[in-house]
Amino acid sequence: MTDRIADVWGARTPYRAGSGWPRRVDQHVEDGVPEAEVRWFPSACVLCSNGCGMDIAVHQGRMVGVRGRATDRVNHGRLGPKGLFGWQANNSADRLVEPLVRRNGRLERASWEEAMQLVVERSRRVLAEQGPLGMAFYTSGQLFLEDYYTLSLVARGGIGTPHLDGNTRLCTSTAEFALAETFGSDGAPGSLTDIDQCDTLFMIGHNMAETHTVLWARVLDRLQGGDRPRLVVVDPRPTTAAREADVHLAIRNGTNAALLNGIQHELIVQDRVDHAFVEEHTVGFETLRRQVREYPPERVAEICGVRAEDVVEAARILGSGQRLVSTCLQGVYQSHQATASACQVNNINLLRGMIGRPGCTVFQMNGQPTAQNTRETGANGSFPGMRNWQNPEHVEELARIWNVDPLQLSSWAPPTHAMQILRYAEQGSVRFLWVIGTNPAVSLPELPRIRSILAQERLFVVVSDAFLTETTQLADVVLPVALWGEKTGTYTNHDRTVHLSEKAVDPPGRARSDMEILLDYAQRLGLTDRDGAPLVAWRSPEECFDAFKEMTRGRPCDYSGLSYRRLRGAGGIQWPVTDERPSGTERLYADHEFNTRTDRCQDYGHDLGTGAAYERKDRAELGPDGRAILKAVRYVPPHEAPDEDHPFLLTTGRNVYHWHTRTKTGRAPQLEAAAPDVWVELSVPDAARLGIAEGDLVLVASSRGALQAKARLSGIREGVVFVPMHYGSCSEGDESEPAGHARAANELTITDWDPVSKQPVLKVAAVRIERLADGGAAPAPAPTTAAPGPRGEAVPSTSGGPGARATVEDET
Amino acid sequence: MKLDRALEDTVQAEAELATRLRVVADRHAVEHDLHHLGHSLARQCGEHLERLAPFADRYGASVGADGVDDSPGVVERIRRKGAQLVGRSEGAGMLLLRDLRDLYLAAHEAELSWLILGLAAHAVRDRELLEVTADCREQVEVRGRWVRTRIKEVAPQVLATSS
Repeated sequence: MTDRIADVWGARTPYRAGSGWPRRVDQHVEDGVPEAEVRWFPSACVLCSNGCGMDIAVHQGRMVGVRGRATDRVNHGRLGPKGLFGWQANNSADRLVEPLVRRNGRLERASWEEAMQLVVERSRRVLAEQGPLGMAFYTSGQLFLEDYYTLSLVARGGIGTPHLDGNTRLCTSTAEFALAETFGSDGAPGSLTDIDQCDTLFMIGHNMAETHTVLWARVLDRLQGGDRPRLVVVDPRPTTAAREADVHLAIRNGTNAALLNGIQHELIVQDRVDHAFVEEHTVGFETLRRQVREYPPERVAEICGVRAEDVVEAARILGSGQRLVSTCLQGVYQSHQATASACQVNNINLLRGMIGRPGCTVFQMNGQPTAQNTRETGANGSFPGMRNWQNPEHVEELARIWNVDPLQLSSWAPPTHAMQILRYAEQGSVRFLWVIGTNPAVSLPELPRIRSILAQERLFVVVSDAFLTETTQLADVVLPVALWGEKTGTYTNHDRTVHLSEKAVDPPGRARSDMEILLDYAQRLGLTDRDGAPLVAWRSPEECFDAFKEMTRGRPCDYSGLSYRRLRGAGGIQWPVTDERPSGTERLYADHEFNTRTDRCQDYGHDLGTGAAYERKDRAELGPDGRAILKAVRYVPPHEAPDEDHPFLLTTGRNVYHWHTRTKTGRAPQLEAAAPDVWVELSVPDAARLGIAEGDLVLVASSRGALQAKARLSGIREGVVFVPMHYGSCSEGDESEPAGHARAANELTITDWDPVSKQPVLKVAAVRIERLADGGAAPAPAPTTAAPGPRGEAVPSTSGGPGARATVEDET
Repeated sequence: MKLDRALEDTVQAEAELATRLRVVADRHAVEHDLHHLGHSLARQCGEHLERLAPFADRYGASVGADGVDDSPGVVERIRRKGAQLVGRSEGAGMLLLRDLRDLYLAAHEAELSWLILGLAAHAVRDRELLEVTADCREQVEVRGRWVRTRIKEVAPQVLATSS
C-alpha cells in the first residue's frame, strides 16, 4: 500500500533503453467493498491527455474504484493520483440530476421537455433574427469523440455556423497549429514508446511531473534505469523535472522564441545539423539560418535572463544525442509567441534529423484527455477530419459525406475561435451560446469582462454540465449531463492512441449524455440533409463512431480500420488504422514524407508574427511537396511588461492534485485536501524585500483585477510569481457560497491571444504584490510536493493519510 | 534620377500606414488582437523609416523625421475609452469593416511604394538600398495579408447579422 498523495509517482520500476517499460498495476477501491462482487468495466482515464487504460470497479450499480490496465500500451497498469481518486466526483451528492431553467432571475427545476422547448424556441428566434451567425457553441476537451462529432455535424452542417470552438483553444490549439505549420497536419508524429528508446530529452514549458504523472513515471524509470537519458528543462519554476535536469534554463516567462532561436543558433554554429536530412526533407533552412544568426548566446542570455554558457551547454546536449525526444506544453502554448515558439521546437528535431524513427520525435503535447478528438471532429477551429477550410475539394468532400449543400458549410474564413465568439457575443451579433462541459467563467482570461458578457440580457446562455459552476450561475438553461463511466464512447490521447470507454453505471437522476441531448436538439429543430432525411442518422455511440471513421477515410487521422469490436480488449490502438494497417501506426512520417502537399495539407500556413493566413497559391509557390517546413521567427517582447506599478511577471498554471477548475477533483476528498485553496508562489529574495513570510496573506493585482492568496516561498525565478489556475469564486459543494474573496488567477490575466493558434496568453502579465496580513505561522495551503515545494521554512509534508492508499501489484 | 521621389513616397506611405494602424488599434481597442498587433505593426513601420533615413541624405529627399511616435498620447487614450463605450453598440461592426478596408488600401499603397523603390534601387545599382527593400519585403507584404485575413472573418459577421 502506498500513500499516492505523498508519493505522487509511486515506486520506481527502472528500465534501460529498448528493454520495455515494466508493468505495475495501481488500484484504489473503496474500503469494505467485497472484491468478489465487483464488476470491472474497461475504460481510460479522463484526467489528462495521457489517457491511461483503466478499469472501472462497479458494485451494486455504483462506481467504487479504479485500477490500471496492465496490458494497455499507454500506462502498463499505472495510474496517477487524479486517476486513482478523481472518479469519486461521479458519486457526489451535488450532481445535477434535472434540467434547470431561469424563472424570475432564479434557476429552477424543469422537465427535459420544458428545457429543450425553451432551447429550441430561442434557437429558432435567433436564427430568424440573426441568421446562423447569431448561433455559437463552446465545448470541451473532455467529452467523447461521439459527442463532438454529433455537435460538429449539428453546428456546421445543420445550423451552418462557423462559431463552434472548444476549450481546447486554451489547452492545445497551439499543438494543432504548430504541427500543421511544420508537418502539414495535426497528429503527434511519434509514440510514447519513443520515451523508452531516447537518449536525450528536451522539455520546454512542460511540467510533466504534475500534468502527466504517469508519463513522468515512465521518464523517471528511464532516468534511473542505468543508461540515463540526458535532460534539458526550460521552466521559470523549479519543477520536479527541472530538479532532475542536466541543464535547467529558468527563463523569464514570455521569452521562449528568443531562447529557441538561440539554441538553433548554437546547433548551427556547433555544426550539429543533419545536413543531408535538412536538404532532402525540409524547406526553409536558409531563412531560418539567417533569422537565428541574430541570436548569439550572449543576446539570448540577456533577453531570457539566463547564463549564456547554459544556453550553449543545452544546445550541446541536444545536439550530441542520437535519439532526441522533445516535448512542450502550456509554458509554450499559453505564453507569448506561442505557435512561433512551438514551431521552433519542431525545428530542433528537424535540424537534428530526429523524427519518424524510434526514440526520435517531438511531442506537441495535449492537456485534456479528449482534446485530440475535439480537433479531429471539427468541434474546434478546424474542419472535420483535418480538412482544409481553404481547399474547395476538401469542403466539397465533407459536404458530400454529410449530404449537405457545400454552401451550407461556412468556409469563407477559418472557423471562429473562442475569444472571437465571446467578442461577437459582447458586440451583440451572437445571441445564442451553448456552453458544453466547460467553465469559461473561471477559465477564460480577464474574468470581469467574461462575466459581463455572459450576463447580458440579450445573450441566451445554455450550459450543459454535471455540476453547478460559476458559469451555470450565468445560464438561462442548465442541462444535466452524464459523465465518463456513465456513457459509452471513444477518445484519443496525445500519441494517437484510441480507447473505448464502456458505460459502467447509469447516469444519476435524469442526466443524459451530451450526444443524446444533441440528437434531441437536432430532431426538435428539424435539421435535415439535402434530401430531407434527418441530418444526424445515428442513434447510438457505435453508429456515430462508424459514421465518423468513414468521414476520416483517406485523411491523416484515418480511423477507417477501427471499430468498437476491434477496440474492445485491445489495450489502445494508434491511428491511422486502415485496411492496410489494421493494427494501427506507431509513428507517422517513418518515410519522412510529410503532409505538406498543397492538396493534402490541413492548412496552407500562416505568417507566425501576425497570423495572416497564406492561401493556396502561396503554398504552391513554397512547394514543400512532402517536405517539412522550417518556420523562422523573430523574437518580439510580450505585449505587457512589468513596470514601476506592476513590477512582477505573473505566470499561471497547474498543480498535480487538480484538474481545470476543480469541478471534479474538488469533489475527490484526497485531492481536495492536498491542495484546498489558492496560493501564490514567490521567490525567497522577493519575499524578503516585501517583508512577506510563508503563509502571509498577500494581494496580487494587475491593471485588470486582483486576488488574495497565501504566500508560498519557493524556488521560483526572482521577479516571477505563480498562481494556480484551478480556483474559482465558488467553494465546491456549495455554489451559493462564494469563497469570500476573488481567488481566480484569471482575474489578473490579459485579453490577448496568439495570432496563429488564437490561444489566450495566460502566462505573461504584469502584477504587483502587497502584503495584507500575517499568516500566523500557518503555511500556505500549497502542497509541498513538486513545483510548489517550500524553501527555507519548516512546512509539514503533504500526505493523504489512510484514505489515499493505493494497492500496487508489480508484474515485473 | 528621381530616387528622392520614390523615397519620399515610401516614407509618406509608411508613416501614413503607421498612423492608420494606430488609429484602428485604439478605435477598436476591444478587438484585442487588432489592438496589440496594430501597435506592434505601427512600431515596425517606425523601424522601417529608420532604415530608410540614411538614404534620404544620399538622394536629397525631404522627409519629415517625426516618424512614428510610440507612447500613447491623450488622443489615443480617448479613442481607446471610446472603443470600450461603442464596443457593444450595433454600429461598431460596420465601423470596423470600414476601417479595415481603409487599412488594407493603405497597406497596399505602402507595399507598392516599396516595390517601386526597390526597382529604382536596382536600376541605379544601389546595393545597400536594394538590401533594405529586400530585408523589409516580407514584413511589408504581410500587413495587407493580415488585414485581408481579418476582413474575411469580420465581413460576413457584420453583414449577415442584424446588429
